[in-house]
Amino acid sequence: MNQNLYHNKTLQWVFYAAAFAVIGAVPLISDDAFLLNQLAVYGVYGMLAVSISLCWGSGGILNMGQGIAFGLGAYCMAMTMQMQTQAEGTIPPFMLNNGLDALPWIWQPFKDTTTGIILALVVPTSFYLIFGGIMFTARVSGPFFAIMTLATLSALATIFVDLQPYTNGVNGISPPGSLNLGELEIDPYSSGAYWFVFAMLVACTVGAKLINQSRFGLVVRALKDDPERVRFLGYNVAVYETLVYTLSGLIAAIAGCCFAVLTQYVSPAQFEVGFSISIVIWAALGGRNSLIWAMFGAFTVQGAQSYVGDQFLSTWILILGFSFILVVRFLPGGFAGLVEMILGRFSKPQEEKAPSGLAFDNAKEVAK
Amino acid sequence: MIGGFLKIEGIEKSFGGNKVINGFSLNVFEHTLQCLVGPNGAGKTTTIDLISGRQKPDAGKVYLNGDDITGKGEHEIARKGIGRKFQIPAVLKGLTVRENLEVAYSREVNALRNMFSMRAKGCKEKLEEISGKVRLTKRLDVEAGLLSHGETQWLEIGMVLMQDPAILLLDEPVAGMTENEIGLTVDILNTLKRSHTIILVEHDMGFVRKIADVVTVLHMGALLAQGSIEEIEKDESVRAVYLGTEDAD
Repeated sequence: MNQNLYHNKTLQWVFYAAAFAVIGAVPLISDDAFLLNQLAVYGVYGMLAVSISLCWGSGGILNMGQGIAFGLGAYCMAMTMQMQTQAEGTIPPFMLNNGLDALPWIWQPFKDTTTGIILALVVPTSFYLIFGGIMFTARVSGPFFAIMTLATLSALATIFVDLQPYTNGVNGISPPGSLNLGELEIDPYSSGAYWFVFAMLVACTVGAKLINQSRFGLVVRALKDDPERVRFLGYNVAVYETLVYTLSGLIAAIAGCCFAVLTQYVSPAQFEVGFSISIVIWAALGGRNSLIWAMFGAFTVQGAQSYVGDQFLSTWILILGFSFILVVRFLPGGFAGLVEMILGRFSKPQEEKAPSGLAFDNAKEVAK
Repeated sequence: MIGGFLKIEGIEKSFGGNKVINGFSLNVFEHTLQCLVGPNGAGKTTTIDLISGRQKPDAGKVYLNGDDITGKGEHEIARKGIGRKFQIPAVLKGLTVRENLEVAYSREVNALRNMFSMRAKGCKEKLEEISGKVRLTKRLDVEAGLLSHGETQWLEIGMVLMQDPAILLLDEPVAGMTENEIGLTVDILNTLKRSHTIILVEHDMGFVRKIADVVTVLHMGALLAQGSIEEIEKDESVRAVYLGTEDAD
């Protein structure tokens, strides 16, 4: 048996349950509306880190453009929320300023909330499915894939800035009201919104963990090691890569929706290259091989930025960069790697340290 | 699984104007262990690459049980029942021995169906059987990257056994093994060929003598001679290009 407690699946689930119980209990302790909103936004960052852990940690697909799904999801959600506040026949004020006099066709579907929310999930995921499909069937991988995601992200940012009449350019869209689901209004500064985001975070993390533990996840971890070998076992590697990339996009899209609901604002900043790279840094610091530790990485970095970073002003980015270098050099597995190492020390050592099973067997036979 | 019948017809392959395989044809019959031998650069590994889909032939055809598999993708050829062991042992180093064997049990390759399946049916029993056969039962939870060279070879043989293909392509499976380990491999291969078709690339004539039903000698990318090991050892042309060095000793 594997002795390191870190790899014990039951204990992992216990740890997940305990961590989420603590996170979910926050509104019971504090009713500070500002704090709850801020922590809920951290939850969104946590989802993004989980999504990167799924494709980069499990599948070895370094995705530096996770802002694509995040931004698309957030824009679709903000458009839905904007249309909820528009009276029938009126169009958002920024369109009037940009010389439009009727609602453009691309905005039409968002008049209906259900359609809008479905689109907020379907548009980014389809984008990932098609983009991933093209890349992975051509066997684009490693740094080349990372560069392609970066380039696509920058292109999207430019498009969203340029299409000012439809997207309000750099100013972005700020719906004047909060999201209404039927009779239910999701006030971003309420424990309701906090729990809504919390439920999404739990669903995404547990879903991703179940996928990691399935046969699909096993194949994904295998192709991270050696895609060539996996092909010769009969698996269509491109399909597996595309699907795991798309699933991570779906999680990022959900995060984007939550972000728009919480902040009532979306702008091309969500497509910024720097932001997408931060997501990778969160996952790397927390430990990309562990979903929950990647999430903790996001909490740590963003929390530190809000509470410590303000005092250091622009020096903060240097501190962040330096700690990233330290982690890469001394803790390649991030915080998760540290925990794994410590638990390894405390766990029972392997029964017999046979350097080679075969040599060991032979020695036993000789001894008989 | 039943053994397969492989037919290769006049395959050709060049790399940068250099013809490596030059109109090579071969029939491998069911439940046969066929050894592919030849001096360095004869095109043995390239032939294996062309059969398994890693390389596409410039000309010629490859048939498995009558189906044309020429130029198909690696995973499609693998699904049709051709398994392969690499010259440099290729195991999944970041996974444990158990996980390596589980991945290799590729009865279900559909990604969506695998997403909703936690373990494959029959995998556990097969894993117990195979890990015993390749003597890795005690090492199941060890990361494959930590195995010794001999164990890595065994693990990859184990993976091919888990896959249970109709035709096994083995590229120098005993390279780097001790006498003891080679003996065990011979036992396994002799059992396997009752139910499978095996094509084995090998340098070591001593090992070939112990296992081969049919020996095929490749030279300059074409067939030089074929027959039983006795016939091959008597063949003058083979002695000239391949065993000649042994005679000189």
